Amino acid sequence: MDSYIIELEGITVRKGRDLLLDSIGLGVSRNEFVGVIGPNGAGKTTLLNVIAGFEKFTGRLSLFGRHESWKRDRKTRLRVGYVPQLLYVDPAFPILASEAVMTGSIGRLGLFRSPGRQEREKTMQIMEMMRMAHLAKRPLGQLSGGERQKVSLARAILQKPDILLMDEPTANLDIAVQKEVLDLISEIHKREDLTLLFVTHDFNMLPASMHRAVLLDHGRTIFDGDIDAAMSGETLSRLFQYPLETFDRNGKRFVSYD
Amino acid sequence: MTEHLVDVIGYQPIQQAILACVLCGVSCSLLSVFVVLMKMPLIGVSMSHAAFAGAVLGMLLGVNPVLSGFIMCLLAAGVLGPLSDRTDMAPENVLGIMFSFLMGLAFLGMGILTRTKANALNLMWGSLLSLSGVDIAMLTFVTLLLALFVLFFFKEIRLVLLSRRLARASGVPERIIYYSLLFLTGAVVSSNLTTVGGLLIFALLVQPGATALQLTYNLKHFFIISAASGVGACLLGLIVSYVLDLPSGAAVVLMATAIFAAAYIFSPKRNAARPKNMERIS
Repeated sequence: MDSYIIELEGITVRKGRDLLLDSIGLGVSRNEFVGVIGPNGAGKTTLLNVIAGFEKFTGRLSLFGRHESWKRDRKTRLRVGYVPQLLYVDPAFPILASEAVMTGSIGRLGLFRSPGRQEREKTMQIMEMMRMAHLAKRPLGQLSGGERQKVSLARAILQKPDILLMDEPTANLDIAVQKEVLDLISEIHKREDLTLLFVTHDFNMLPASMHRAVLLDHGRTIFDGDIDAAMSGETLSRLFQYPLETFDRNGKRFVSYD
Repeated sequence: MTEHLVDVIGYQPIQQAILACVLCGVSCSLLSVFVVLMKMPLIGVSMSHAAFAGAVLGMLLGVNPVLSGFIMCLLAAGVLGPLSDRTDMAPENVLGIMFSFLMGLAFLGMGILTRTKANALNLMWGSLLSLSGVDIAMLTFVTLLLALFVLFFFKEIRLVLLSRRLARASGVPERIIYYSLLFLTGAVVSSNLTTVGGLLIFALLVQPGATALQLTYNLKHFFIISAASGVGACLLGLIVSYVLDLPSGAAVVLMATAIFAAAYIFSPKRNAARPKNMERIS
């Protein structure tokens, strides 16, 4: 297997005395959909930040077969999309939903070129595909949490990345909206030729097309493999240090607790 | 009265004051867009104290105080960005620490400075009516630089204002944009010490942006409204201070506040964004 699109070897991140990531290794092939799951403070977001180039680290990180540090050129950044946790936006902030989506195109345009008709059309196309064209002229800060997350997703897609990193994109959303966003993510994974990394601590709310899980605890990988194998009561109880059981229903595995 | 005003406009020092007014209004209010949208109101106070400390230091060392104030501002800007990025401290906290440190430095200098205290104090108030050619030239240069920066990097600025992290993920050189903004803040504040002075510049770095925040969701219009209200406050303030023989800086700031109050009261955004159940209750 030399075709990993993301490859980590001995990735370690320290903040002061704390070891946030302890010699993590990971290989992700093209078009995979990987869930990074673990309790709070396990290092999930840090791992994502390392791949996104937001965080300094030691160890070896390869993207598209090339070694990268946390500083990287524009071309590499463009190929790695990022969807953050729900972003707080001041209700009065002067940006419309469509303008926010269009910001996904500006890295590709480069300096001194403004978005033109082509970018506007692509923006509307993506917004229609995500069934949110009616929000185009609404101020971003006045959208609901779910709508704002869809904007984040749309702007990341407009960037046309090869890898899409998502940091708890459904946190703080209510259940129906979580489901909608998750379905949208699965839909995108099927349609676009994308490698997805999805950070979450909520194992009952996973996108249907996620097939591999990496379980993290205290900065270490404790499991890496098929998502169904990861979802065993024993493994999860150990990970979350809380008695958990799993049961199957309608072909899906769920986790329950007292 | 109006005839008298028209006569007055013919005088060269008055023309110069009007030009300074426009430049001061444009530079401060363009910058206030960033100050307000990035929620860093303390940056104005902090920078003006850096400039003030620099100026006092300059007087002690026998260097041109405007120049040393300018250099001190750029130094402060150069420290602020990396410090807040590296220490994971909120920029506002870094500003708070820098602000008190620079104030201490300025007052220390004032204590040592025995002969020319009055000169230093002038930089606290500024004066639109007694500017030198060099002051005007520097102000023009800095204003132009800021306007060009906004014009050329508009789309990058929009994303950096929304989220620096998203900007970085999109391949935008957000650090360069952000640090340039800090440097421009230093440049604008220090070149306006002679116009509205170190104390009152704070008002002009917040009020025009806050005014625009009441009125538009369009970032382009935001810059234009902010600039218009800033220039308006400066010019109206100058006229009022001339006619009623009041201190010009005070008149300008009070005028800016009045414009903000009017925008707040008539804000279509605020009125539209009011939650519906609130209306039902009241």
